[in-house]
This record gives sequence, C-alpha cells and structure tokens, in this order.
Amino acid sequence: MSALETLLLVSVILGVLTGLSVVVLSLTWLERKFLGRMQMRMGPTRSGPYGLLQPVADAIKLMAKEDLLSSWVDRVVYWVAPLAVFIPTFMIWVTIPIAKDLVIQNMEMGLFYIIAFSVLSIVGLVTAGWASSNKYAVIGGFRAAAQLISYEIPLILAVLGVVMLAQSMNLQKVVDQQDTVVYALIQPLGLVIFFIAGLAELGRTPFDIHPAESEVVGGPFVEYSGAHWSVFFLAEYINTFAIASLTVLLFLGGWLFPGVSDDVSALGVLVFLVKTYMVILVIFWVRGTYPRLRIDQLMSLGWKVLVPLAFVNVIITAVYKFYEWPAWSLTIMSVAILVAVVWELSRRMRTAPTPEYTVKLYVPVSEVSNAG
Amino acid sequence: MLGNLKGLLVTLSTFFRHPVTYQYPDEHKPIEDRYMGFPVLMWDAKVEEPYCTGCMVCVRYCPTQCMTAVMKDNPLHADGKSTRRKIVDSFEINLGRCILCGICVDVCNFDAIEMSHEHELSKYARNGNRTNLPKLLEMGKAYQQESGWRPEKEIKAEAEAKPVDEAAETKEETVEAES
Repeated sequence: MSALETLLLVSVILGVLTGLSVVVLSLTWLERKFLGRMQMRMGPTRSGPYGLLQPVADAIKLMAKEDLLSSWVDRVVYWVAPLAVFIPTFMIWVTIPIAKDLVIQNMEMGLFYIIAFSVLSIVGLVTAGWASSNKYAVIGGFRAAAQLISYEIPLILAVLGVVMLAQSMNLQKVVDQQDTVVYALIQPLGLVIFFIAGLAELGRTPFDIHPAESEVVGGPFVEYSGAHWSVFFLAEYINTFAIASLTVLLFLGGWLFPGVSDDVSALGVLVFLVKTYMVILVIFWVRGTYPRLRIDQLMSLGWKVLVPLAFVNVIITAVYKFYEWPAWSLTIMSVAILVAVVWELSRRMRTAPTPEYTVKLYVPVSEVSNAG
Repeated sequence: MLGNLKGLLVTLSTFFRHPVTYQYPDEHKPIEDRYMGFPVLMWDAKVEEPYCTGCMVCVRYCPTQCMTAVMKDNPLHADGKSTRRKIVDSFEINLGRCILCGICVDVCNFDAIEMSHEHELSKYARNGNRTNLPKLLEMGKAYQQESGWRPEKEIKAEAEAKPVDEAAETKEETVEAES
C-alpha cells in the first residue's frame, strides 16, 4: 500500500468518524427536544439558541468526567468491551451508500456484510456485562444476547425478502431497483417486520430490556463512566442511524425521490438524510409513546409472531417471483396478511381471560395450620 | 393493537401543543395578592416612623427564633409629634431561618409586621439573609406601595363606623318615603 493510499484511508476513516459524531450529536439534541415536546416540556433551552449546544456541553462533560474503575473488574476485557461494541457499528458504514456511488466500498455482498457485522456488537455487550463483575451487568449482558440474537432472525428474513425482490445484495442495486415503486409499497409486511426487529436490535424503547434502568439499572453499562460509557452511547446512536438508513435504503427508495435527479450527489445526500431523519423521528415517537415490554412478552412477540411472519413474507415473495405476478398482487398479499395478524392479535388481547386472584382478608385461627 | 395506534396519536397531538413551561428566571408570573412571602416591617408615613415599638412579642413567639428587637424612648413622642412612647431601635430578622409561618404577624399588636411579597432572596453565604431595620423598612415600604396596605386597626375602625351611618341613612330614606 503506497503512502498516498494510506493517507487516503486514514482521512476517509477520520471523515466518517467525524460525520457520524456530528450525526450522533444532532440525534441526542433531536431526541431530547422531540421527547420534550411530546411530554409538553421544552427540552434543552439554556445552552445556545434552542439548546443547540447542549450535546456539545454533554460531550465535554463526559470527556472531563472521572473514569471510575471498580477494583474487581477484569481489566483487559473491561476496556476492550466498548471497542467491541463500537467497531462493528462503525464498520458497517463502509458499505452503506448515502447517495448514488457515494460509498466507501461498494460490495456485491453488502447486505450480508452489514448483517454479519451488526451481530458482532452483541459480543461486546456480553463481555462488558461479564467483565464488570456486577450482577446487574451480567443479567443485562445475557438479556442483550438473548434479545438481539432472537431478533436477528426476523431482521435477516425481512432483509431476505428485499433481496429476493431486488435479486441483489448490493445496496446500490437495491436502491436502483426502487426507481419506479419503493419496496415499502410492494412489501409493507417486510417493512413492519424490519422496523420492529430493528428497534429490538437497537435495544430502544419499547425493547430497551438490556439497559432497563428500572430493572437492571443500565444493564451492561452499570459500571462504566465517563469516556468509556460515552463510547457505548456513541455506538447506540450510530446503530440507530444505521437501522434508520437501512430502512430508507431497503424500503423507502434511498436517495431517490420523484422529480429529483439522482445524478447530483448533493441532492441525493439531502434526500437520503431527510428520509433517514424522518424514520429516526418515528423511532423517537415510538419511544415517547410505549412503555417497556417484559422479557417474556418480548420473546413471545419475537418467536411466536415475528419469526413466522417473516417466513410467510419470504414465501409470498418467492411465490410472487416464481409466477411473475404483477407487483400489486404482492402488495395485496402483504397487506392482507398484516391486517389478518393484527386483527387476530387484537382479538386475542380482547378475549384473553383475566387471571383470577382470591385474596382472603380474614383467615380464622382454626384454618391456620401449624403442623407444617 | 388499535390501542397502540391510539397511543401514537395521543403523543403526536401532544407534540403539536405548546409546552406549559414557564422559563422561570427569565419569565416571572405575577404574584397573587394573598401570596405570603417573608415578613417585613411597616412604615407609618403620617408620622414618618415605623409602626413597630420593639415590644418583642413577635420575638418571643417566633418558632425558629430568627428575630431580635431592641426598644428605645421615642424622640418624636417627646416632641409631641407621635403617640408612640416607645419605638424600635434596632430589629433583625435572619430570613434564612424564617419558615414563613406568619405567627409574628398574628401576634403583633401594632400592625407593625406583615408578610410581604418578597421571596427571591437567594444568597451565596449562609447568613447572607440577616436583614436589619433599614432594609426591612425598605422592603416594607415597597410592599405597602405595591399592595396599598393599610393597618388592620384603621380598617376595623372604619368598618365599625360604617354600619351606623348606613342604618341612619336607610331610616331617613324610609321616613321620606312614608311622608
């Protein structure tokens, strides 16, 4: 590798890192402001106009904070864990295009690469939990493993549906295929599965079970503070951005927009960012609305609803492809299945028998047994 | 399931409402007339002296013992300008210890102490709110101007005088109507 190539590589890495950091700063501000307005609060207002400098202040505070280390942690694993979470989330950006031909390395197996790397960050969470030698952290780490692995399956199957439609794992080609109709219209079922499974992958509300503050007080991150904690934080928000941009690329037509030429990269980036931020706002909206699921509810939703639905999605896509039916037929099948499942689930919720509890306010002395 | 969608709509509609937050240090809500702030001393503008005689009733009843008062002979009484034989010489309230209970106001025989609208007195030092007589009177004058305060005795005297007059007036009216 020549000196010039090395320099280029380093500058590209630094550029992506800077870009992602700016995105994360904007996301934290946006989330606090958006959630605040949803709860009739104002969100940050004091630092800068509209509190715009709040994320900068937060970042400085996190950097300046003392990095605490409890005496019984497994040091090497403890310090490596944040990197094990962060590096995969950073690596997937190698092949995510943000406009036509604007990507670090376009790969034929791009989607495969992204999915392979996004699973890796679970290792970081588990090791973080284990190395902290803290009960809450260990429980949190195991919860993360259980949750993320089980939601990986519907996520991959939803992506598989798109791959079957586009006949390619190359994200550029997937987007180019959507120049007439976006896949959200052809495959709404896939979009719903991908979005829900994506939320669970991110560990965001209502699936924030591994960092649940009220149960495991921050899960794998309990013992971390200062800069090391902020690496986890950074990874979480980059992941949010990644899932949102994958939603846009796979289902919402990426940088394509009717009437906007995709030859100009700047316009493409703008369209892509607008769409991605819209998806992120939906994620924040969901966070502002729903309470956290219990772990058994999460598991039953994943294995009993989403995994079968994802298989059905793959099967109807295969049928549609094999018989070369028109696109609207897949839309109808997809919507019909979605409506049927929602109807069935809501019917079960309504008719579920309420558990009966009998509370004895007064127990006569004669009934109290002292024999045992 | 439909409930979930309804929940999303609720948060969305809340999003478009204006926040109810007041930006407190920048934006002050008007204080109600009956707001009970820190106790201050009243100023008798007619004779140019405080109402307080330094009798120490409030000092003795104060549950947190945050007040001290010293009495002196009133020079204005010697000149024949005032009816008060004794007058307050020095008075101090440690407002940092005051719990705003209002007992001092209830026990005062001279309407000399009142609960003002004063409430933003944060200081950096622990004893930064020890307030002396001139300062208390200054706060009292501000409160008097703001609220149009009059001594309780004056109001009572007027109230006793009024019904007699009104009764007399109504009698005269009825007499006129009959004739």
